[in-house]
Amino acid sequence: MSGGRRPMVEVRGVRKSFGDVEVLHGVDLDVHAGEVATILGPSGSGKSTLLRTINHLERPDAGIVRVDGELMGYRRVGDRLHELKERAVLRQRARIGFVFQNFHLFPHLTAVENVAEAPVGALRRPRAEARREAAALLARVGLGDRLDAYPRQLSGGQQQRVAIARALGLSPRVLLFDEPTSALDPELVGEVLTTIRDLALGGTTMIVVTHEVGFAREIADTVVFMDRGHVVEQGPPAEVLDRPDHPRTRAFLAQVR
Amino acid sequence: MSSAPPAAPVPARHAPADDDPDELRGLTVVPARYYGRWLAGGVVLVLVAQFLHGLATNPGWDWPTFFDYLLAESVLKAVWLTLQLTFYGTALGFTLGVLLAMMRLSSSPVPRAVAWAYIWAFRSIPLIVQLLFWFNLAYLYQELGFGIPFGPVFWTFETMHLVGPITAAVIGLALHQAAYAAEIVRGGIISVDSGQREAAAALGLPKLRQLRRIVLPQAMRGILPNAANEIISLFKGTSIVSVMALGELFYQVQVIYGRNGRVVPLLMVATVWYIVLTTVLTVVQHSVERRFARGAERQPEPGPLDQLRTRLRGLAQSRSSARALHQSPVPPGLPPEPLTDTARTDATATHATATHATATDTTATDVRGPRKGEAR
Repeated sequence: MSGGRRPMVEVRGVRKSFGDVEVLHGVDLDVHAGEVATILGPSGSGKSTLLRTINHLERPDAGIVRVDGELMGYRRVGDRLHELKERAVLRQRARIGFVFQNFHLFPHLTAVENVAEAPVGALRRPRAEARREAAALLARVGLGDRLDAYPRQLSGGQQQRVAIARALGLSPRVLLFDEPTSALDPELVGEVLTTIRDLALGGTTMIVVTHEVGFAREIADTVVFMDRGHVVEQGPPAEVLDRPDHPRTRAFLAQVR
Repeated sequence: MSSAPPAAPVPARHAPADDDPDELRGLTVVPARYYGRWLAGGVVLVLVAQFLHGLATNPGWDWPTFFDYLLAESVLKAVWLTLQLTFYGTALGFTLGVLLAMMRLSSSPVPRAVAWAYIWAFRSIPLIVQLLFWFNLAYLYQELGFGIPFGPVFWTFETMHLVGPITAAVIGLALHQAAYAAEIVRGGIISVDSGQREAAAALGLPKLRQLRRIVLPQAMRGILPNAANEIISLFKGTSIVSVMALGELFYQVQVIYGRNGRVVPLLMVATVWYIVLTTVLTVVQHSVERRFARGAERQPEPGPLDQLRTRLRGLAQSRSSARALHQSPVPPGLPPEPLTDTARTDATATHATATHATATDTTATDVRGPRKGEAR
């Protein structure tokens, strides 16, 4: 999809404040196509906010985000950036998958309806075709036998896998995971991590905010460590996780281990 | 005895320590008896019986006249008009109400302010006053025109012809209803978890589809009970239209008793019609609510017919059960609803060891058994 060496996701100088508190102090990040980046860091370090600025769920106060060369939320006219209307932003988002910590499945729709909703509603695919593809995606995350179950009839791990299938339904260029296992009972974490691992092996470009250090080491091409709104350190897991330069990284890793 | 003995093999707290637990397990359970509760139940039943007796025997109710008019053609016509007023009032009122709710939730300040002002005004004006205004519209504006605002007018209508009494009544009811409907719809929408809209936005669903497919179906659960309340109160509220001399149910009944002087039986005619039609609306409400409860429960709640069937089955079981305690079967006339929470708890507690029937199956019979025994 992306030509040459241009990264799939480019984040440059992104700042974001909520009220008086600045949660992102000018963050830069590159993720190449087919690469898996995991973002680690203590709570309140701005990981989730960074992820949400990538698909423009949060509008950055300064800085820009490009996904597959497409500038998120703006259109360049000469040397000005014109803010896009909501409809155009929604269209951009339909190419980026987002998996929430609390799943946010649509409770009144069955698993297969949850997955087929966006292809029909956002990409205007024919309903029967979208349903067929949704069923195939659910089979891929191991839920081929629960197509007609409502979210409340599923376990947390199953719900999160439906949510992953729902994000995949848009054939996204990038998948963003916001702490996908934090709301799960410990014995259900494994099935979700397995699903994400399979996607990583399949070459999907992913950015994963997580607390699972072991998992990050296993799947990540790049580990990004954030603290207080800054990217403190980034690099291959062997460097960042095993020989961290920064004292904050060392302190954090000592705590979570 | 201060409390019902536990059912399980756990020994009672005040039992002597040297009792053999295996022996205790085999003992017969005697349920606790609440004499005060039985007495109160008996008193209430006597009062109800007295009231029913009065209804049947007091000549003032004049039942023959009641039956003469209940299905009279003039009354049926009036019922039909009442239903029409309710239907149009509801349909227009809720359509406008949804629009107003959207305006109040808009991110643009002008529609927000306009909707707020509308709701403020129409909730402040009593319905009867508003209806009289509409009825007198022709006095304010003899002609209504259609054209460019402040510019030329293309068509004009005589107000008297365009806004007859029925139209005036429908407009009045609908505008009044819209103000309340708007708040109910808005309440339903803001009660939907914000994560739902965020997820829909993250999927790139267009705004209108987010609302139609994701937000509204979930909001409906909160909207429906309140909307049903409003429709029922509008249905009875149509009786206010009688001030405009429109031949709806209440006005028609007034006309008849004005002629023949039989006030009470004719009021009963109106009452019975209002009750019957409200009951129909209530049943419709229940089935619509069930439709929108999709996915809300792990196991869908049984409908009224299912519940009745379950109760009847429970009744049959307890009748055949030789160990049923101190209970007589439910008399067929009593309603199938369970009584208060305390009564229910009590019933299940005393019943824990008595039969294999589930708690819900037997609740109705257990609660009522002792009451009837007391009333005898």
